[in-house]
Amino acid sequence: MTIVRTRYEEIHPGLGDRADPVTTEIIRQGLNAAADQMKQSLIRTAFSPIIYEALDFAVAFYDADMCMLAQAPTLPAFMGTLGFCVREAVEGVGGPAALSPGDVILYNDPYGTGSHPQDAAMVVPIFHEDTLVAYSAIKAHWLDIGGKDPYCTDTVDVFQEGTIFPGVKLYDAGRLVSDVYRMILANSRMPEMVIGDINAMVAGARTGAEALGALVRRHGLDTFRRCVARMYAHGEALVRGWFERLPDGVYQASSVIDSDGVNGTPIPFGVRVVVDGSSVTVDLTDCPDQVGGPINCPLPSTVAAVRIAVAFLAGAGEQPNEGHFRPLELVTRLGSLFHPVRPAPCFMYGIPSDHAIELIIRALAEAVPGSVPAASGGDINALVWWGTREATGEPWADGAPHPVGQGASPTADGASALMYISESATRFTPAEVWEARNPWRIERLALAEDSGGPGRHRGGLGLDLSFRVLEDQYLTSGLARTKLAPWGLKGGLPGRPNRLTVEYPDGHTEDFSLKTRIFLPKGAVVHLRTGSGGGYGPPGERDPEAVRADLREGYITPGHARRHYPHAL
Amino acid sequence: MTTVIGVDVGGTFTDLVLHDAATGEIRVAKRPTTPSAPERGVLAAVDAAVPADLLARCRHFVHGTTVGLNALLERRGATVGLITTAGFRDVLEIRRGDRDDPYDLFWTPPPPLVPRRLRLEVTERVAADGSVVRDLEPEDVRRAARVFAAEGVDAVAIVLLNSYANPEHEKRVADLLTAAGFAGSVSLSHEVSGEYREYERTCTTVVDAFVRHRMGPYLHNLDRELRARGFAGDLLVTRSGGGALTLAEAAARPFETILSGPVAGAAATARLAASLGLGTAIAADVGGTSFDTALIEDGRLPLLYQGEVVGLPLQSPWVDVRSVGAGGGSVAYADAGGLLRVGPRSAGADPGPACYQRGGTEPTVTDAALHLGMIPRGRISGGIELSAEEAARALAPLAGPTGIDGVDAVAVGVVRIAAAHMAQAVRGVTVERGVDPRGAAVVAFGGAGPVFGCLLADELDVDTVVVPPNAGNFSAVGLVQTDIVRSAARTMVRPLDDAALPAVERVARELFERLAQAGAEREVDLDLRHRGQEHTLTIPVRLGEDDVAAVSARFSEAYHRAFGHTLPDPLEIVTVRATSRVVLDDDRPLVPAPPSGEGARGTTRLWSFRRGAWTEAPVVRREDLDGVAEGPLLVVEPTATTYVDAGFAVETHGSGCLMIRRKDRS
Repeated sequence: MTIVRTRYEEIHPGLGDRADPVTTEIIRQGLNAAADQMKQSLIRTAFSPIIYEALDFAVAFYDADMCMLAQAPTLPAFMGTLGFCVREAVEGVGGPAALSPGDVILYNDPYGTGSHPQDAAMVVPIFHEDTLVAYSAIKAHWLDIGGKDPYCTDTVDVFQEGTIFPGVKLYDAGRLVSDVYRMILANSRMPEMVIGDINAMVAGARTGAEALGALVRRHGLDTFRRCVARMYAHGEALVRGWFERLPDGVYQASSVIDSDGVNGTPIPFGVRVVVDGSSVTVDLTDCPDQVGGPINCPLPSTVAAVRIAVAFLAGAGEQPNEGHFRPLELVTRLGSLFHPVRPAPCFMYGIPSDHAIELIIRALAEAVPGSVPAASGGDINALVWWGTREATGEPWADGAPHPVGQGASPTADGASALMYISESATRFTPAEVWEARNPWRIERLALAEDSGGPGRHRGGLGLDLSFRVLEDQYLTSGLARTKLAPWGLKGGLPGRPNRLTVEYPDGHTEDFSLKTRIFLPKGAVVHLRTGSGGGYGPPGERDPEAVRADLREGYITPGHARRHYPHAL
Repeated sequence: MTTVIGVDVGGTFTDLVLHDAATGEIRVAKRPTTPSAPERGVLAAVDAAVPADLLARCRHFVHGTTVGLNALLERRGATVGLITTAGFRDVLEIRRGDRDDPYDLFWTPPPPLVPRRLRLEVTERVAADGSVVRDLEPEDVRRAARVFAAEGVDAVAIVLLNSYANPEHEKRVADLLTAAGFAGSVSLSHEVSGEYREYERTCTTVVDAFVRHRMGPYLHNLDRELRARGFAGDLLVTRSGGGALTLAEAAARPFETILSGPVAGAAATARLAASLGLGTAIAADVGGTSFDTALIEDGRLPLLYQGEVVGLPLQSPWVDVRSVGAGGGSVAYADAGGLLRVGPRSAGADPGPACYQRGGTEPTVTDAALHLGMIPRGRISGGIELSAEEAARALAPLAGPTGIDGVDAVAVGVVRIAAAHMAQAVRGVTVERGVDPRGAAVVAFGGAGPVFGCLLADELDVDTVVVPPNAGNFSAVGLVQTDIVRSAARTMVRPLDDAALPAVERVARELFERLAQAGAEREVDLDLRHRGQEHTLTIPVRLGEDDVAAVSARFSEAYHRAFGHTLPDPLEIVTVRATSRVVLDDDRPLVPAPPSGEGARGTTRLWSFRRGAWTEAPVVRREDLDGVAEGPLLVVEPTATTYVDAGFAVETHGSGCLMIRRKDRS
């Protein structure tokens, strides 16, 4: 059994000691702003709504040592994940010595990106005069790059999940490598969309490279390096300052994942968090060996899950850099659910990583009382649709995450219908946009009455979404947390789990959780009922006026009030 | 030339601007705002600054008001009822499912402007192509009317799904509601916005209903009071998208006025830039709490068609002015990790910077600039005595935790970081539109803008800085240069092909019927995109002249400028926009008249950022500047100080502006 400890240490001790603090702050701002420019460029030119609406991408800069200089806020789930793939991408093409200005490296190996092959990364080396000084990197979700289906919940190895580019030059010294380009197109069901997104990513990474190059020119390479070292030390000090306030101790929690999508059995796992002075260690070794279905979570995504769980609690409110990550250590077991090895399938890696985020937060409930909410609906409720348009014969595909109720906190009711925290920057697509684009009619988009977990503070409401399909099409469901009800805390009651029901034209219905390629005949209605938040504190302690207000506005029904809040009536 | 009065009510000051046709000059005055009763502050400013005979010959009274904005900020407006398509009453509360702060686990949206019990559904359905899937059930409307009557609803917003494609059901709901006895105001989403995206359209329509209740009475009352004082012209209200609305239009479409505050400065910059022939100009307005910037290309205001105010999206034309918390009052502090930080928190007007000696103890950007001699010591307008000792006392404690050596270095750091913040904001507005700021001129105004002009030029690698006379009051000039502008839009998703342009003409004709204004110039723009993309670019079209090829070429050119490449994919129309503009007077001056008054003279000790050293430099009164003067020096006037660093030269241009040019490219 191989235990792996992942941690980040200072690479050039003392380099930042003499850096000017004012210039350091100016460079720090400049890096964050340059990362944001890269993000805006991608959003404005991307073809796929998964990129421009769901923000299913990451943009960041890394220094020549592969330490993260800055990342623009996109999906929290991608926090700090690009370091692994920058390293692997550069190794793939022969190491830093093999790079020249104008290169663009393509990399999408799941064990290096942390996600599925659809999440493809572009890495652009940035030169100052003749010295390689940094990399800009973009990872974004392509609509399709092969695989057995456009979106897979039932793969048994990584080879079924998409075509893998293990670090290849897409541009060599500024020239498009057409062999690679043609291979991409030949392996995609949606080549036009993918071309559009590739162009957007290349333009974005180059925009970023120019902005960062200008910053280095402006300050000089030596000053830039010293200030960056000081910036990392600053980030580390901020996070250590917060960790020091946590009482030392060992904090644990455990939970159960619905299934691996192939074998129907539940998958238990546990987290163990050790707080020691200003350092925190998160141990995720208490989990099964890598499983047969696609819910294995490659190490980069496990690392990201741990980082965001801690970042949410630390509430630093800062764009992170490498320094922020140094006080945090991760322990995993090679060949396990949270550190799988080839060829373990991992298309739905987000299921265990999303679950781990909320479980780490729960484990820390005892360490930071008052700072931890009850469980939310706990999943992004990803659905993917595709088909061929009747009138034109054109293929179409689309997909989206869906919002859930949030857990109640010690001070307030949970918010209703927000995206799960790992996907919190994503916006829900308007019904009118869906209907202008896809052969659907949305019949209902509503808050689910009575769904919030009862408690002194009530869980947020889940969402009820129903739409009728107007042409034959397929649906793939990525739903997790369909069995485990969102937990309450301190006497609060659970909310409702996620649920997907298809109502067929003949009237019969069927529920699905992880399921690939569900055929939807014209006239079928899809009902998605997303999970709600758990309650906080005993329902009997809820302010009667709050109960009456909920009744008045219809967030709860009289029957629900009689059952859970009789004291208020 | 006509006589125009402008009054813009800001959070702290009410600006009054006068263009007197008799003298040809623009004069400006500042008065404190009366937040509790803004019309009283407006009238007090008029009574104090405008003689009765002048008010009597005034043709236009242009008013910038925060009444709508404050109604939203304070949540004091109408009790609004909302009617939606069955199944969709929670759209307003579900929003788009995102968070303002994606890293905040506890983030909760503000409560919706219409509580759930007042959001009622009616059975009906229209498809995206405008076809009726299900007829309207009139009884549902009558039931809603009964609920609204029982609940004391003042105003109703009607938002039915896909009404942008077919508004008939919305109109019928309004008729039925009236027939059922509802006597309050009704806002129809297809009239308010006409664009798709039901959450944004619902929000815009609800905001319209919510603020109209306060705006109409306020404006009519102000109009009455002005007329009682002898005013016989037209009251106009400034618009978030530039220009002004007539009183009737502003009372009917108040949501179009909500964020007009920062527009005047950008509008004044646009006119000045056009007249001076500055191809690309950057408006740089440094006030007490914020830095506001906008990119002006060829004298045009940068427009967006969706904005957001207090977390509420509005589908309304919007001048793209970005604001960051880097103004004179921005507070400097050492963060927990030992870095020096500036803003966004501000010491505001009260207590203000430490050097104001009004109880403020926190170090601000103004304190740092004063310490470095960039602002002369002594009395400033408003009678405040600036104390360099207090400034130094406030700055000194920052040295220890940041490891910065001494108070001079702290002050230099605060100013450099503030300038870097401002430069990032400028890069945001330029780079996003594919413009390299290096070729632009910086137009610096606001109380502290001219202090930062040279620093911004260095940060942005810009060669020219323009400082208008009376720079502290320059933005108010935008008020009296305004045109009357009305606009309307309708979403119409379809390919851009030969059949499309006649359809655009039909829609534009319908939109212009609603916008009927005598003597108006008409402009039509199209939101276009590559098929498959979501985001659009807004492209002007000349109906009857342009063919598909001409429109496509214009789009490709704009796309290349914004994104650096072009794509072969076919184009799609998303939205048709119609704008009708009445130009009031082409002949108004571009800059305010210089104020008179004594200022400091002689020399002062100031910090040169270029030299990285203290230096003795001349202090010159603006009216005394003769020929080309080389930095370092200070140019002073009653409402502003212009800091000219070494390596820059300044002279007075024929327009009255200071032109500062960089002599080298360090």
